[in-house]
Amino acid sequence: MTLLDFARGPALEWALIIFVAGSLWRLVGAWLVRREADLSAPRSESTAAGGVRTVFSRFWPRKEFQSKTVYAWVLAYVMHIGLAIVVFLFTPHILFIEGLLGISWPGVSNDFVMFAGAVTIASMVALLVRRLTTPYLKAISNVDDYISWLLTLLPVVTGMMAYAHIGGPYPTVLALHILSVDLMLVWFPFGKLFHAILWVPSRAQLGAAMQRRGVKA
Amino acid sequence: MTVNMEMFKQFAEMLPRLGDNAQPPQMTDAERVSTAKETFIRKLNGRMAIDLESCIHCGHCASACHYFVGTDDPKYVPIRKLDLLKRVYRRELSPLRWLHRLYTHDITVKELQECQELVYDSCTECGRCSMVCPMGINIAGMVNVMRQGMANAGMIPAELMAMEQEQGGHESLFGVGPEQMKGAIMKLQESGLDIPLDKEKADILITTSVIDILLFTDGLIATARIMNHLGLDWTLRSDGYEAANFGLLSGYERVQKAASERIIAAANACGAKTVIIPECGHAYPSMRWEAANEHGGPLPFEVLAISEFLGREVKSGRLKLNALGRSRKVTFHDPCKLARHSGTIEEPRWVLDALGVDFREVESSKELNWCCGGGAGVFLINSAADLRQKAFQIKINQVEKTGADSVVTACGSCRLNFLNGAMRSGWDKGIESLVELVAEALPEQQPTTH
Ligand code: SF4
Ligand code: SF4
Repeated sequence: MTLLDFARGPALEWALIIFVAGSLWRLVGAWLVRREADLSAPRSESTAAGGVRTVFSRFWPRKEFQSKTVYAWVLAYVMHIGLAIVVFLFTPHILFIEGLLGISWPGVSNDFVMFAGAVTIASMVALLVRRLTTPYLKAISNVDDYISWLLTLLPVVTGMMAYAHIGGPYPTVLALHILSVDLMLVWFPFGKLFHAILWVPSRAQLGAAMQRRGVKA
Repeated sequence: MTVNMEMFKQFAEMLPRLGDNAQPPQMTDAERVSTAKETFIRKLNGRMAIDLESCIHCGHCASACHYFVGTDDPKYVPIRKLDLLKRVYRRELSPLRWLHRLYTHDITVKELQECQELVYDSCTECGRCSMVCPMGINIAGMVNVMRQGMANAGMIPAELMAMEQEQGGHESLFGVGPEQMKGAIMKLQESGLDIPLDKEKADILITTSVIDILLFTDGLIATARIMNHLGLDWTLRSDGYEAANFGLLSGYERVQKAASERIIAAANACGAKTVIIPECGHAYPSMRWEAANEHGGPLPFEVLAISEFLGREVKSGRLKLNALGRSRKVTFHDPCKLARHSGTIEEPRWVLDALGVDFREVESSKELNWCCGGGAGVFLINSAADLRQKAFQIKINQVEKTGADSVVTACGSCRLNFLNGAMRSGWDKGIESLVELVAEALPEQQPTTH
């Protein structure tokens, strides 16, 4: 079995199993920690609407917070959008997903994907520099932040190398690219990459709780 | 400003000695750690679990916290205040606990001691950090769990411990118990104020606080005048008058419940349909949101903050007020526990509107208002004095920008903190109470109907 066969064969299979099972375990496990009814009289009954509103309202800081947060917010957007373009709009990725799940959609030009990849890398470097040079961010950073950063960056870098045919024989670089994706999938349920799922319930529960008290979160 | 500044100065001078009477419980270090952990585990719920799993360490919460912004000190980043709770969660409750236990060490008594400053001196549980957090994490709610664990482990600031022990042991605060309260009310009655005490039946139970009895007596008088003006059937009860709840502030659950239960029993005894909480920020959420859960069932009466009550009366047209005039340039300070925590946001503005003053909104207001820096008992903690002042500077700047001559608020704790902060920094703005302004603007005529 070649390295490429291993990367897209058993390694990928196991990575996907760990990704799905681990994600379910973590989400359901946290959800099931003791939940009790609130017996106080609500100020507003439309808690579901409050929850949904906060899921969307937190896509951008309110103007009172913008001056201090907008730089990091923009960088985070650039990174996430760039990543989404690279992962979901690159034609070979769409073909791969079609093989796995049977669904597909149109991609964008490869040049555009490469541009998005470069922008993603630049924004990730800027975010890392910010984390390392801002004392209060350093104080709340842990090893998970750096592992998650690296395991997000590696697939982008190796993918661009494979596309550009640099860094070694194509099958080897492609294998490294897929292995880095495998690693990222394995790490996903255990580290902060899991925020890709948690943002919905955590925002929603704050919005619902505050709506119950008559406050727009 | 109607408060007697001499009295206030005496009160402020007494504060540094407040902790002298505290009697720390005798516990071994191991007992302290296990008690704190037991409380954390018991109080953590599914919502908190999702929150503790969610933080992405973006640090945005720092920009919302008056203690971080006032000092720029990394230790005050809000989410850091939950480090120990998060560790206990990870090791004991998290779905990945088997993994976390491999590399997360247990909490120690030293860490709990270090944490005291973070969850008492430097967090007013104001909740502003939640309003910026992209993940919507409710940090204030979990700081309260931290306080509960630390309180049970006997690791709280001496001032709060003394207050909590006084309220739990003698049902008094600052030496004012039911007998002293009765005496103070009788004096007011003798001066000609119609202030019903211990009525057997009444529609409305008015609660008060020792701060109003000792210091802000005008607030109490104003409340009585307004209730009488409206022709309402109300009473104060010496068996359930104290709205302040030092169990909630210190995190001590038993005292918190006992303080709420006294009011519930007094309201039930007189058949009150409404309980009105005075201008006291934490007293309101303690009755409005927490009491039913401690009590084990919905409360058989409505709980209203006095500012909320006044707003409703004005809005409905039942309470008509004289205009105080546009020459009064005022701004409003939203108490965190009333606005951001409880949705009492528009009601005080309806009142200010009816007062016909030149009202100027601060830049970040309503549910996004900056805390005054003294809430959740922080006002009483000596070691927090400098930190509090740095946070208060944000308020000064906020108010100054509006060009208002005075700042109105609807919380006695905020008012104390404003007075103290202004005294320390030589700030010359007026600091007024909403209920007193309303009493000032009452028309001579009694309304005919209600
Ligand atoms: S609740 Fe308020 S005081 Fe506490 S950390 Fe958040 S912003 Fe700071
Ligand atoms: S803003 Fe929210 S997600 Fe970001 S560090 Fe603070 S608590 Fe964590």
